Amino acid sequence: MDWKGFFILMEEGGIGKWVRESPSMLAFPTIIALHAVGMGLLAGTNAAMDFRIFGFARRVPISALENLVPVMRFGFWLNAVSGVLLLLSYPTKALTNWVFYLKLTLIALAMVDTWLIRNQVIQKSGMDDATVSARARILAALSLACWAGAVVSGRLLAYTYIYLDSSFDVY
Amino acid sequence: MDALVHSLQVWLKTTQLYYIMNNVSWAWRTSESIHFIGLCLLIGTVGLFDLRMIGLVKRVPVAALHRLIPFGILGYVMNVMTGITFLAGASDQYIYNPAFQMKMLFMGTAGLNVAVFYLATYGRVAATAPGDEAPFRARIAGGVSLLCWVGVIFCGRFLTFYRPPWHWCPWC
Repeated sequence: MDWKGFFILMEEGGIGKWVRESPSMLAFPTIIALHAVGMGLLAGTNAAMDFRIFGFARRVPISALENLVPVMRFGFWLNAVSGVLLLLSYPTKALTNWVFYLKLTLIALAMVDTWLIRNQVIQKSGMDDATVSARARILAALSLACWAGAVVSGRLLAYTYIYLDSSFDVY
Repeated sequence: MDALVHSLQVWLKTTQLYYIMNNVSWAWRTSESIHFIGLCLLIGTVGLFDLRMIGLVKRVPVAALHRLIPFGILGYVMNVMTGITFLAGASDQYIYNPAFQMKMLFMGTAGLNVAVFYLATYGRVAATAPGDEAPFRARIAGGVSLLCWVGVIFCGRFLTFYRPPWHWCPWC
């Protein structure tokens, strides 16, 4: 497959071009700012859930953590949409950098982990359960590690890319 | 005032921190990474508490949720410290940057808001039962806090696009 052709196609597409080249503050600057807000809501709320499972804020019932899910979901969709827009604006930069795939993998793992925590810990917890199993703590520790890794690898994308756009020479 | 700001900006460039931020390859990216982790801690605890104040996640008891605030304070301290490393590393790019000035304004407002909240409102809020609406004053404080922190994040990301001296703003 011709990867370079694929990069050019994405870079020249109307949406990617607008995000990258528009002088409006509503284009690239606002989209990347929203991506940081969504990160705070998604990774931050996940961290709050993990801290509760570790035993902090004990008087929050484990079952009440289910109420945090809509906040996580809002952060996730905000970042899925803003993330796709950012990817369309600099496809070569992201897709030729292995750190980008590491970031996506960590997010996928973190989301499976959250799903497991909801299914096996939160939804099985009674109103008065204050303590959790060792297994739940391991899931919470993995969740924290994956989100921290996703945030750091996202931040490092600005420092680790090899090609900014499709003008690189592959032949 | 201008002279004072200018001398602070020049002094920052003589510090050891300035040297490290500009000569150690991993310094800036490490500070940035910590800054973003701190952001998550702050939004995930203080932001979550604010959401409870304005009427979301109502099944979570207020006083119990408040026990997570120390993680938010930890995030805040991480971000002030790493923020100082950026400021020292490129003082002229921050001090004369309108996005940075707005960011400080939002942080100051958030600080004032939190002081008023603890002095005048928290005592009555802590008793809010699960499922109940927080008192009106607490709803206002939560809303102001959320707006301020979202403003801080926006200004932080806008810094890059308002680098002095290539910008325009009403007071620049």
